Amino acid sequence: MSRFDPRGKANRALLAGVSEYDHVAPDPQGVNGQLPAVRHNRTSLEDALHRGGVFGAGEVRALASPTPDDFTGALRRACREARGLLLLYFAGHAVTSTSGSELHLQMRTARVLLGHGLPGSVRFSEVLGELAESHAERVVVILDCCYAGNAAGIWHHLDDPKRRKHKIQLLMSVQPNRCILGGDADAATPFTRELTAVLDEGGDVWLSRLYAAVKERMAAAKYKAEDDDPQRPQALAPPWDPEADVLLAAGPAVLPPPPPGVSWPRRLWELLTRARKAVTGSGRTTLAALLALLATGAGGYGILALTGDPGPCAPPLELRVLTDPDLEPPVRAAADAYVTSDANTTGDGCRRSGVTVNSAGAAAVVTALGKRTDSWQQPREDDNPQRDIGPQPDVWIPATRADLDRVNMAAAREDRLFARLEAAAEPIAYSPVVLAVPKALGAGLEPTGRSLSQLRTDLERVDGKAELHRPAPELTDAALLATMGLYGEDADARAAERRLARAGRPEPSAARLLCALPAEDAVDRHAAALVPEFLLKSGIGCHSVTRVPRVAAYPDDVPGLEPAFVRVRWEDGDRDADARDDAVDRFRAWLTGDGGRAVLGEHGFRSATGERGLLAAQEPPAGLAGSVRPAKAADPSEMDLTLERFGSAHGPGRVLFLLDSSGSMAGRWDGSSGGPGILKQTLPGLGGEDEYGVWAVHGTGGRTHTELLGFGTHERPDAERALGRAGVRDAEADPHGALLDALAFMRERGTDDEQPQLIVYLTDGEDDGRLTGKALDEVLDRAGGDAGVPVVMVSLRNSGCDRGRPATRIAAAGRGRCLDVGDDLVPALYDEVARTGSGVE
Amino acid sequence: MARRLTAAVVSLVSLLALLALASCTPRDAREQQPPGAEPPRIVVASGQDVTGKNGIRQQLIDAWNAKEGERGYRARLVELPGSADQQRSQLLGALQSGGAEYDVVNLDVTWIPEFAAAGLIRPLTGSAVKSPRDIIPSVDRTAFWDGERYAVPFNSDVGLLYYRKDHLRSIGTSRTDLSGGVTWDDLRDLIDTVNDRPKPAGYKDGWTTQLAAYEGRTVNAIEAFASAVPDFALTDEDGRYAADDEQLTAGVTELRERTASAYLLGEASASREAESLSAFAEGRTTFLRHWPYVYPALYETFKGNLGVTRLPGKAVLGGQNLAVTSSTSEQRAAKAAELIAFLTDPDSERCLLRAGFAATRTSAYQAPGTTPECRHASAYSRNASASPTGESAELKAPDLLAGGVSYSRDVLLPALSEAVQRPRTPLYGAVTQTLITQLDALCGPRPPGAPRPRDAQVARRLDEALKKVLPGR
Repeated sequence: MSRFDPRGKANRALLAGVSEYDHVAPDPQGVNGQLPAVRHNRTSLEDALHRGGVFGAGEVRALASPTPDDFTGALRRACREARGLLLLYFAGHAVTSTSGSELHLQMRTARVLLGHGLPGSVRFSEVLGELAESHAERVVVILDCCYAGNAAGIWHHLDDPKRRKHKIQLLMSVQPNRCILGGDADAATPFTRELTAVLDEGGDVWLSRLYAAVKERMAAAKYKAEDDDPQRPQALAPPWDPEADVLLAAGPAVLPPPPPGVSWPRRLWELLTRARKAVTGSGRTTLAALLALLATGAGGYGILALTGDPGPCAPPLELRVLTDPDLEPPVRAAADAYVTSDANTTGDGCRRSGVTVNSAGAAAVVTALGKRTDSWQQPREDDNPQRDIGPQPDVWIPATRADLDRVNMAAAREDRLFARLEAAAEPIAYSPVVLAVPKALGAGLEPTGRSLSQLRTDLERVDGKAELHRPAPELTDAALLATMGLYGEDADARAAERRLARAGRPEPSAARLLCALPAEDAVDRHAAALVPEFLLKSGIGCHSVTRVPRVAAYPDDVPGLEPAFVRVRWEDGDRDADARDDAVDRFRAWLTGDGGRAVLGEHGFRSATGERGLLAAQEPPAGLAGSVRPAKAADPSEMDLTLERFGSAHGPGRVLFLLDSSGSMAGRWDGSSGGPGILKQTLPGLGGEDEYGVWAVHGTGGRTHTELLGFGTHERPDAERALGRAGVRDAEADPHGALLDALAFMRERGTDDEQPQLIVYLTDGEDDGRLTGKALDEVLDRAGGDAGVPVVMVSLRNSGCDRGRPATRIAAAGRGRCLDVGDDLVPALYDEVARTGSGVE
Repeated sequence: MARRLTAAVVSLVSLLALLALASCTPRDAREQQPPGAEPPRIVVASGQDVTGKNGIRQQLIDAWNAKEGERGYRARLVELPGSADQQRSQLLGALQSGGAEYDVVNLDVTWIPEFAAAGLIRPLTGSAVKSPRDIIPSVDRTAFWDGERYAVPFNSDVGLLYYRKDHLRSIGTSRTDLSGGVTWDDLRDLIDTVNDRPKPAGYKDGWTTQLAAYEGRTVNAIEAFASAVPDFALTDEDGRYAADDEQLTAGVTELRERTASAYLLGEASASREAESLSAFAEGRTTFLRHWPYVYPALYETFKGNLGVTRLPGKAVLGGQNLAVTSSTSEQRAAKAAELIAFLTDPDSERCLLRAGFAATRTSAYQAPGTTPECRHASAYSRNASASPTGESAELKAPDLLAGGVSYSRDVLLPALSEAVQRPRTPLYGAVTQTLITQLDALCGPRPPGAPRPRDAQVARRLDEALKKVLPGR
């Protein structure tokens, strides 16, 4: 037997703490009393083991007051699953047989009958038998109960011709034949209290050190067992053979990696990994010889780790990564490469972590991390970022570090925060925001050294028909940074917005914009787009369209993207704190190391420092510069201000909601996926100055609707109440008449200004029969007119937005979107409403 | 976690705790309710459902709350994003770290082994499930791991075959009603005939399905593999790799034959649920493999020209199961089990079927008028009043197709009963990713004329890749 470091193996800890008993005195068959202290034992030891880092996520299982069946079931399972270390802990009542040769661990249903009947108990000798038969390499049993010390004798008497029991070591709370007191109700029992204190000391805690330290601490504290005897913990069997020691915790003191006192196996593993990389391609023999050589000096750990039968892998720890919509494809590609990389693989070939990447509107994320962490952690019915933004991130990768400062500025005004942010010092990579112009026009522009407004003037000079496109600035940072350049220091934001192409509404990401441009060849040939440079290299994945090739002009006053790596720690989210920190650190190290640089390089990113050369070590693609001089860093206050100016450049918006209230909607009315519920979820996109109203659409005579909420400005709760009062009418609906009325209503309001307007029509399509032939043509004609108001059609049924459907055609004519049931109906509708309104809060 | 209680409640709780001289962890403290405080809560996390089921889950939860009364526990639904990947990520991350509190979680059937093996959900006793024998056995098996029940099926799902009767009529075949079931050979014969005759307007190819690089590709692959190899299982009951090169070759051959370009719509290689549904709804194919939830919408479009029947060969199970988290206290866990028993009882399952879900219990499919009645959600009880305008609140899909065949009883129930599961392993995420990636050679888009690799070659690579991610026997 040799010193055993179980880290990286499939380990299991089973913590059984019986604090509650079904039968207690004065019940003559009951145990002495409840053991409230044991509740603390269970939680404090579980936490200490998690912090210790030897047991990974999901490897520690605590059983609260189990029945004998629960206990033996869990024990059998742990025995089956553990391949490295198996730790069994029991705290609760226990009794011994008269001869002292058996120890009965009393579970929740324990009773004591006349004679020798002990229902509800588990024999320790049987537990030992199970443990000896387990797949675990080493087993440590810790007992905190009366007569715990008798366990050693039972171990010695266990009949075991195959010497399997020798892998089991015991740590016991008290000497043989002594009972101990139940402890205080408000703290753990003395033995477990000292045990967890030592585990928490940090550094490598080996079983030998643990035993010695606990013994010393208990003696110093003068704890008493029954009959006023000192309580003396026991171990099987001191003095320790140093070669038989087991590592039980390697807590925070050794983090972050690489730890100064890194243990032999881990150091060896790193050496082996490096060696394996070094000899890749030079043949199996060389590798084997090298491994053998390394292993000789280290007692065989490496050989076991590399060639031993890989046990079943524990499910990996899940990392939730949130990023900017423009960055989602490259970050997802990087995460996919990382999870299968060596860096994310244990010595047993198991994955350490899984990584899921998602994105959400940049401004909404900044607001949520600054002001809505409470509801993000504990969602409310009317405020649920878990649904509307997505998972609570462990890692946030904003497109620029300035977003972190924006969050901090917002958070400084909050009473309490439920997520703490911590950013890595250096950006992950760099990509300038460029003006992507059709190649034919590019020759007429200076690619560098000009401001964005100069470039825009140059462009208009080269091509009178040139149009400038930019995605939605509230959704992506690249668009917001570009907007800062467009507005300049004192330019009129409203005038700047007017010079942008007005075809439809801003696209939600740069990739979507570049995919949308080729839809009309005439537009594509004259369209310049403000997008992150990396998209010009990596392609954008929109198939079956031929795009006009574009070249980049680099405005010198628009800050570039400098994605930052931010760790997000949630309050109370420390159940696996060390393991999670370790997983995050590994991902960060990989992402900023060779692996991550390779993926980001393929996607067209540049180095975050120096000359900002392209990470992919090849000639820059045609139309892109080899190196670029980075513009000034993004200023957080300026970003916030620009967002505000953008909101007010369009003035407050106007939205008219049409809610189909005909009888058939009864089946699609209630709850958050019903008609009123869906509309309610879009209201946070509207601010106090926006005007909006809701029509209940029903009736087929002269009157097509009734007013649910009058058109004007509203406090959100009032609007929510109005929607809450809405009911289904016993009538059919006339979508043709209602839409014509709505278009006329909004057109009347929009004649004198350029405020953004929107009509949202939500229906189940039951009355689509009235939207055919001439009636449909009339709606299409009005919606598509020059002064047409964008119309978003929401169909609450599958395939409501299929090709040729009325909703699809009306939305297309009205330059709005058609949304039918699917994953993203509510967030997509929210985006549409929020882009018209000025409320982001 | 007392931070979200008002100061008054906090001090009351502290006072009570002191008076009782009892030890309380913070969690227990939150459960002690002073007079006038809000009732204790059970938080149920579930993905947002926007498939037009009228918030039936919320209605069932409301019914339980009503039953509990004002002084009882209060169940609260926390909706997660609609995307399954994001749901799984949030549930795993939050339960592993403790960064959000859930008592009951609604899990996709493929996640049960992972959550159970990671100790994130707890084994359930009989108190969490009423009449377990009533649950369709194939569906109930998705709720177990390592011999223990970790969950109770809430709603199920299974692959079905939709078809255009008018297309079949136009080719003059006598077999326009396939409700008795078809084989793949029948299907290919029918497609050959449609292709040989003057084609229906807009028609392009025989059938379509979901083969884009996502979970749908895994589902279609497992359906082909399980049809080709008797008792096919990629993993054994312990989650160890149990297939071999030969079985995989047979499976790959079956999948290739099904997806041959003579039969399959070309764009299926990039189709998910929505795209494949649109292709069929627009008349580009005669057949469609899809889930039960599209039936009402398709019926509305095609009325009597629509047929639905069991998939030829094996069909894969979907659906969600309810489980209790390990992190919740014993007291709440016991109450959470009661809630699950209510949400999945025969009455609730009848409501879920009427709302358009595939119910998990045999009793839900019994003839109308028999027990159980749907009393938990009044909108779905048979007594719900029909509207005089004819726009009724009743479920749109008529259960009786022409010819007196009951869709739910004669198609859906048998399909569920004989459906197969996807591989059961705590490492499902890695397995499905491997299948999706390795089958790209077969299902992914390719330039016209480029040759596909041989079946044995695809199977060998798949075998090697699966051996890397799964423990062996």
